[in-house]
Order: sequence, then C-alpha cells, then structure tokens
Amino acid sequence: MSLDITIKIGGEAGQGIQTVGQLLAMVCRESGLYVFGINDFESRIRGGHSFFQLRISDRHIRAPHHVVNLLLAMDDNTVTLHQHQLFPSGIILCNKKKPVDIPRTLAVSFDELAAQAGNPITANAVAAGAALALLGAPFELLEKVLLRQFADKKQTVRDENIRAAHLGYAAVDAQRCTADIPWSSTSSPKPIIEGSQAIAYGALAGDCRFAAFYPMSPATGIMMHLAACQKEFPLVVEQAEDEIAAANMIIGAAFAGVRSLTATSGGGFCLMTEAVGLAGITETPAVFINAQRPGPATGLATRTAQADLHMVIRAGQDDAPRFVFAPGSPEEAYETTARALMLAEKYQVPVIVLVDQFFNDSLYSLEKPFIVPQKIERYILDHTAITNPLGYQRYQITESGISPRALPCKGKALVKCSGNEHRENGHTSESSQDRIAMVDKRARKTIGMLSEIGPPEHYHADADILLLGWGSTRGVIREAVERLRADGYNIGCLHFCDLWPFPTHALESLNLTKKRLIAIEQNSTAQFAQLLRQQTGIAVHDSFLKYDGRPLYPQEIYDAMKARS
Amino acid sequence: MPDLRDYDSSAEIKWCPGCGNFSILAAVKKALCSLNLAPHQVLLVSGIGQAAKTPHYLSCNLFHGLHGRALPIATGAKLANHQLTIIVHCGDGDCYGEGGNHFFNAIRRNIDLTLLVHNNKVYGLTKGQASPTSDLHMITRAQPFGVMLEPFNPLAVALALGCGFVARGYAGKPDHLSLLIQKGMQHKGFSLIDILQPCVSFNHVNTYAWYNERVYKLEQEGHNASDFAAAFARAQQWGDRIPIGVFYQKEKPTLTDMFPALQERPLVDYAYDPARLHTLISSL
Repeated sequence: MSLDITIKIGGEAGQGIQTVGQLLAMVCRESGLYVFGINDFESRIRGGHSFFQLRISDRHIRAPHHVVNLLLAMDDNTVTLHQHQLFPSGIILCNKKKPVDIPRTLAVSFDELAAQAGNPITANAVAAGAALALLGAPFELLEKVLLRQFADKKQTVRDENIRAAHLGYAAVDAQRCTADIPWSSTSSPKPIIEGSQAIAYGALAGDCRFAAFYPMSPATGIMMHLAACQKEFPLVVEQAEDEIAAANMIIGAAFAGVRSLTATSGGGFCLMTEAVGLAGITETPAVFINAQRPGPATGLATRTAQADLHMVIRAGQDDAPRFVFAPGSPEEAYETTARALMLAEKYQVPVIVLVDQFFNDSLYSLEKPFIVPQKIERYILDHTAITNPLGYQRYQITESGISPRALPCKGKALVKCSGNEHRENGHTSESSQDRIAMVDKRARKTIGMLSEIGPPEHYHADADILLLGWGSTRGVIREAVERLRADGYNIGCLHFCDLWPFPTHALESLNLTKKRLIAIEQNSTAQFAQLLRQQTGIAVHDSFLKYDGRPLYPQEIYDAMKARS
Repeated sequence: MPDLRDYDSSAEIKWCPGCGNFSILAAVKKALCSLNLAPHQVLLVSGIGQAAKTPHYLSCNLFHGLHGRALPIATGAKLANHQLTIIVHCGDGDCYGEGGNHFFNAIRRNIDLTLLVHNNKVYGLTKGQASPTSDLHMITRAQPFGVMLEPFNPLAVALALGCGFVARGYAGKPDHLSLLIQKGMQHKGFSLIDILQPCVSFNHVNTYAWYNERVYKLEQEGHNASDFAAAFARAQQWGDRIPIGVFYQKEKPTLTDMFPALQERPLVDYAYDPARLHTLISSL
C-alpha cells in the first residue's frame, strides 16, 4: 500500500474526539483520499477514555490498522494508553502549554488557542488544524470543510472556528510529519458514510415508511439517521415505550400496508422474539435489525460482537421461516436493508439483519455513490383484482406457500390475521387438518426463499486454506488474506452475508471437505462453524475467535495464521 | 345503512353461556350500524384472552395478536393509515397487566382509536386467577389468602395521563354501552371505555345482581364531563355506588395530526419517489 497513515485521537468522552475525527475525514474526502474510521468509547457521556482512529490511504481500505502514525492526545491518559502503538517515526501531538519530555512529542495548547480564537468550544478546530499542518495539508481544504460544516450557523461561529483552526495550523506549521500525502483540491471527493447511516439509507431505498424503536446502543444511530429524514420522506419514526411495543408497532404498520422496520441490539431483540414469531404466523412482513454487542444481558454496552447468530436464527418458539442476513460493507448493508424490506414483503416473513457496533459506528469511504432504485416492486394484492371479495381468504393455501395479501380497509374484501393457529379465512382453528395445512404452507415458503439466497463472497476459494467469516469482518479478513498471500501462503476466504435459509446449495461446488477451514468470528464458540456443520456436515478444523468487545484487526489474523504454520 | 346481520361472523363463539361478552358484542354491532360503518370499513385489533376473541365474532377486518400487545399493533396500523377506524378489544389482564406500559403510552400518544376493555376483574381464559382489577381479598385458587394487591383503577390512571375520553360501561346495560361506544368512536383521539363485565364462571363476587344494585348513570346525576376534578372524584367511587357513563371528555391534537408526512395523505397512499433519496445520497 503506497499510502497508509493512521491517526488516533484520544481523550475523555465529551471532549469532541469524534468531531476532530470527522473534520480530518472530511478533509481527506475533499482530497479524493480513502478513509476508514473506528469509534471506541465507554458507556458514559463525560470522562473516561475514548478514541477515534482514522486510517487514510490512496487505496480502498476497509479495516483498521494496528500501528499509529499520529497520536492526537486531548488528555494525558491518551499518551499513556496508546504510546506503545506508535510507529517508530510517529508523532504525538498533545494538548499542553509547555513542551513535554517524551520523544517526538509536540505540545500545543488547544484550549489556550481556542480561547484566543474567541470561544473555548473551538478546541476541536484547533486540534484539527494542528493535526492537518503536521500531515502537510493545505489550510484551504480545512477552511472549506469548516465553512460547509457550519453553513447553517451564525457568521461569528464560522469565524471563530476558522480562526481557531488557523491558530492550531500555524502553531505546528514548521514541523511537518514525514508522511507524504498527495493532498489535492481538484480530486473528485469520495463519499463518506457511517455504517448505521448506510442501513438507514438502505431502508429508504427499500421504501421503508415506518420505523419504531427503543434506544439501545449500538443500534440507535440507525434510527437517528432515519429520524432526520422525516421532513423530506413519507416516513414516520416513532420512539416506542419498549422493544416489545416497537416490534408490534412495525407489524401493525406492515399489516396496514407500509414497509416497516425496527433496530435494536441483542437485549432488545430478546424482548422482540415473541413478535418475530407473530410476524411468522400472521405472515406479516417485518424487518428487525440487530446491531450486536457483547452479552449476555447488558454485557458490554458500547462494544462489538458477532454473537447473536444462533439466537436470531432460532428466535421465537416453534418453527417459522425467516431470512437472516449479515452485510459486510456499507454497500452491502445498503443493498441488504433494501432487499430485506423487499423479501419480507414478497414472502410475508420476518427478516433479521445482523450488524454490530464495529460496523455501525465506523466511517467508510465509498468508491461510488449508492444506486437509487428507480421503482419499487410491491407484493400486495390490489382489491380491484379480487373478483369475489366475500370469498377472499388471507391464508389461502397455495403451492408456493405465499397467499395473496390484501390490505385492511382498502376494499370490500375482509383481511383477517391471527397469531392463533387459523384456517384459510384467518379465523382461529384447533383442528388437526388446519394446523398441519398451515404449518406446511408456511414451511413451503422456504423453497422460494432459498432461491433468493446468494453464495458467500469468494476470494481465492481454490486455496488450500480457507478462512470463513460473516458480517462486518469482511474487509478485515480480506486484508489479512491479501497480506498472507503476499507472503506466499496458499490461503483464501469465504465471506457470508446470506445466512438463513442456509446457503447449502452455494457451497456444493467448493469442495470444502478437501480444505483446511478456519472460522474467524467475534464470539467465543465459533457460532458460524457450528451452523455450517449442523446444516452441511462439513467440519471446521480450527478457529480464531475474538470476543473482548474490540474490533478485529487484520494484523491479529495475520499473526494467528503465521503462528499456525 | 348496514344491517346488524352484516356483522355476523361464521366463526363459532367460544364463550361460556351467560358471559358478559355477548352483550358487549351486541353493543359493538349496534354502534357500528348506528355510525353507518360497513364491515370492510372497520379494523378490530385484539391481544389474548376471552375479550380478545371478539374480533372473530364480528365480520370486520381483524388482527388478533399477542397477549398485551394489541395497542402497539393498532398504533402501527393507525400510523401507516390514519384513515382506519380502529377498535381495540382487550381484557383487564391483557390491557392493564401484560400490556400496562402500552396502555399508558397509547394514552400519552393520543392515538385516535377506541379501546374497549372487557373488565371482568378476573382471568377467565386461564381459569380464575386474580386480575389487576380484582377487588382486595377476593379468594381464588392462585390467591388462597385473598388478593393482596390494591386494585388497578383504569379510569383514574387514564385521567392522570391526560386521556381525552374516559368512560365506563356495563355489560348489563347494552343500550347505554352501545351509545358510549358510539361516543368513543366519534371522539377524535384516544378513547377508553372500561366495561364492567360479569364472569359467570370465575368471578362470584362481581355478579350481574351485585352490579345491578350498584351502578348508576353519571348523566342522570348532572355530572359535567368537562370538569376534570369532578371526573377524578367520580373515578374514585367504588363499592355501594358505581358510576357508569362518560367521566371526562376533551379534544386535543392526536398523534397523527403532528407528523408532517401525514398531513398530505396516509403513509400507505404515497407513491415511491426516487428523487428524494437521490438528493440525500448525492449530499454524502
């Protein structure tokens, strides 16, 4: 990789670490550079220790890097905690008045310069200015970003911030970082998006009209992005009294005819499980996004995990078909969320999308903007097409298992849905025949659903060793494999987004029984490896599991594989 | 004008003979006819319990969901299509116990629907345990030492939460109940009608005879339904004299009046427009 710089901005919660990170990322965006940012924070609003880590490259990057070129320390603790990650030529920039007796450390008082600029709150702009001066960026780029960032604010706010950024910039102007970054003001900007934002926009691309939620980290960001769209879109976002209400509200809204979703984390999803079953038996489309974090119970509220795979596949009592997807990139998350809404409606089933804190809170550059669908295909029966309204039966037995779905109060036909076992007309029934007919009808949908399931992403699938991953770790595993291949390893990877119904058919041609398979997962029991064995009989030989709540780094996989050879 | 028979359902009614639910069912049918609503214009939503079976016994659109969760289903449906006319059928256990949180918040949202709570002060479907509204000291197989919890007072709670239509009906006075249901349905906003309903199988305290001796109509005693303090005082009355009728009524904006997207048309009636998303994505 020709350019690979990592900046770590650390400090207490409430010090505006993310703001500094966002400013630096936006400057990179202006220059046509690629970024990848991760957010690490504690479950508190003030104090403690947080960091934002921004990786900058001239190539497409989708993983964090383990060494730091520039450590931007808003407090002393940041230096103590992260000094060891510094690259030999790396620089520490700290928020101090007087010079510090640590090699390669620059002291700039962000607070003092902010006060000088006219407002202590502009310390973030000072820090961003100083960092960009060290990275050799022209000041005009930052000025442009600040002007856009504060476009809606008063002139004085804009002036203060630009003044602050300039003071920070001038404070270190003479001492440049060794990084040779090709700053440019004429390149075409690479769009930047947060993982949670990609899901929210995917919801809109799937024509989502209603969302209900109860706030829970790390899912809340999705709903905040959606809530902000209510002025421009035919969309209602309702904060429910609890997750049970949120799940039932989306089922109610979907029943009445609009595409709907909810987002939560594992604990909230636990509360929603009865509603997942209700969507299953009433055959009502509903999309549940589970942004995973470590559990059980409260676990680690602001950290990451991939540990709910078994739960969501089995959630709810008895059996009812469902889809489970775990996108591995913002592009895939955008498409998958839209697809989830479409498939929920087409098959009248619940769909669960698994993401996690690492994905939701990370910042990604996009190679190109998302594609907006020109039209939306609906799977709803128009009342005008019902020749005999009195004979309409919501749960009509069909070959595909899918019964034509009309909407309530939109015509003469009566739409009757029940979570009790029912007969074709929707009325409760306890007869053996009705029970068997309905279970079988719902189960038949799986055949069509399987045809919608795509294969895993292949990368050198012909190699002797295959790493198996799913969900948000896609870019991380891919980078580790690239590095191992560059070192001469005959290694590849398979990465799964479509997880349920299980893509058994897509694995047949891969000769997996002849490979050495290693599961790479962020849970402690290799849940995907268990699932693979359960569904196909294929045994996974080894695993590399990380379950400390922190994101996976390519270097960790690289080291683990080297240690195995 | 629809006929009462238009609402007859083919489903077999599975209530005990003499159940108060029969007269509630008749009162609902009569109210729908009087309001000139045809079966296909009405959506009935319910949770779980004897009361929650009601939608099957009327010929209307229906969604029969989970225990305690009828109000969130109805709220979602109303937000998706605020032109729907929705009646929610719950029991006292379903609405005030399992679904208590939803009861509070549906009132706070002032979502425009009519909630009929078939309040028999006992769990019928699970055979006679105490419900949130059971009187103190009532003995059941599950409460052999008598009910120890203070009874839940739905009317006082609804008033305290700012409910704009608070009423109580009695299954033994179906004509009066039918009028209350009509008023509740005509009220713009959340309407609560708590319905005193004898359970002939499991509640041997609050029987028809017991109620007949005690209930009186608020309107016959000059109660002013716009007087909050008077309504709150009447809501505390229980025992020798039990008021029925409209306790309190006050209109205010409903939830669906406040979302910008709903002012133009119901969510369900919008066409998909790629231009908006295009603008949003181009701004990244």
